[in-house]
Amino acid sequence: MTQKQITRDDILHLAKLANLQLTEAEIKKYMSQLEETIEYVENLSELNTVGVPPTSHATRVENVYFEDGTPNQRGLDFSKENYKVPRIL
Amino acid sequence: MNLAAATLAELRTLLDTKKISSSELVDFFRARIEKHNPKLNVYLTVCDPESAAGTGPLAGIPLAIKDNFCTKGIRTTASAKLLDSFISPYDATVISRLKEAGALVQGKTNMDAWAHGSSTETSDYGPTLNPWDTTRVPGGSSGGSAAATAAALAPAAIGSETAGSIRGPASWCGVIGVKPTYGRVSRYGVIAMGSSLDCPGPFSRTIEDSALLLQIIAGKDPFDATSAEEAVPDYTAEMKKKRTFTIGIADEYLEGVQEDVRKNFDQTKKELEKMGHTFKKISLIPPKYSISVYTILQRAEVSSNLSRYDGIRYGEKRTAFTAEAKRRIMLGTYTLSHGYYDAYYKKAQQVRTLLIEDFRRVFRDVDLIMAPSGPVTALKLGEFEKYPFFGEIMDVLYEPGAIAGLPAISIPTGLDSNSLPIGMQFMANYFSEGALLDIGYQYEQETGFHGISKQLIDRYA
Repeated sequence: MTQKQITRDDILHLAKLANLQLTEAEIKKYMSQLEETIEYVENLSELNTVGVPPTSHATRVENVYFEDGTPNQRGLDFSKENYKVPRIL
Repeated sequence: MNLAAATLAELRTLLDTKKISSSELVDFFRARIEKHNPKLNVYLTVCDPESAAGTGPLAGIPLAIKDNFCTKGIRTTASAKLLDSFISPYDATVISRLKEAGALVQGKTNMDAWAHGSSTETSDYGPTLNPWDTTRVPGGSSGGSAAATAAALAPAAIGSETAGSIRGPASWCGVIGVKPTYGRVSRYGVIAMGSSLDCPGPFSRTIEDSALLLQIIAGKDPFDATSAEEAVPDYTAEMKKKRTFTIGIADEYLEGVQEDVRKNFDQTKKELEKMGHTFKKISLIPPKYSISVYTILQRAEVSSNLSRYDGIRYGEKRTAFTAEAKRRIMLGTYTLSHGYYDAYYKKAQQVRTLLIEDFRRVFRDVDLIMAPSGPVTALKLGEFEKYPFFGEIMDVLYEPGAIAGLPAISIPTGLDSNSLPIGMQFMANYFSEGALLDIGYQYEQETGFHGISKQLIDRYA
């Protein structure tokens, strides 16, 4: 991992990506807190992970499919009154 | 008989023999809530449940539900002002299963906002106070559910854990908390925090009650694709198996543990040895790495999950997010952003694989792992901030098991020199919740949990 200093521009960029509006005090606070956190998690570089596959599901469930016709509990009920809007795509 | 201290099984008998009606039971707990909630701030919403005429095992019994479970027609906030006016249009699967078993929703309990925290202090509705000492926090994020169970403001409760949010508050409030295997219990309708980690689970004052609640909520759910196909055993039968266990203990999990907690660990070990269980030294990857893995994965998942609160739905704009949510979104956005993904998110997922393999290796030699439920007993309000890394360090003993998706239980094992509850946790191999209930039940039969829960209920008349 690369040692990284979190700049004011980094914080503003992240806030834009995450659609958050930050006050001046928050910008300063997150600069130091993010840096502290990033610095801590650098300890992972002490562990060798060459060739180790990443885990996204702890008990390794994969490829879960629905049967055709599985009822959609929260689907709209089209037998009731609905609004019809013009196609947009 | 003291109705407040009654177990679910005892309430079942009272209801079945018509010694009490369901509405009397609901009123009884509502009166207790009216008396103690203004001080403790356990419930955000108190319900007026219609007593169903069901015949299930929980028919007519009210439960406390953490406020991140969607409950049809009932306000569901996750303790975040952003959801202040959100009334869920549907029930979480956990809730619909409990209702099918006849349970009633007594109310929705306070938690850290969005479940971001380990103290219930980040709630946008003020902290819940620990019923053992109201200058202290109950732990979190399921602090309200743990406190409700401890002070008998409900017969039992439902909470959820991402890393410590069931075990932690159970330990600090002196009750039982079960964190099931990831996928054992459906996440459908639970307001998502860390989707690859979140696990709903029960709080209770007896192991039998935990077994009953887990039985009802566990199992494959077509609405949660990540829920597990594995068959659900009979947990009450599992609980009574009286197996003799080989229990692993790791020095890495005893570093920096408070003296009283350490003493209690040794004491509990002795009690279990007397009962015929054997202990074996094991070595695990130091928990400090789990803090890093957890921080990266969880913040990334938080930033993704909270992006749905876009100001168009749910009534409030993103300006309604408070400090902790914003901090987590910012970090998650950072680690997932272009150029850093491999260095952080992918690296953390790879170490996650190492942690899983590490536990699998250890579970070839031992049946269970025992460790303190947290390095210290309940902290004072505001004390978390004094600890490094904004208090994240408090979850150090929960994170490895949570990242691996393992099941665990926290049981009350004693009181410290300030008369605060101490808890011990047991972790087991995947889908071995039965073994956890077994060890808990054996300990309960032998020690009665040293009368801890009764002591507190006597103080909350």
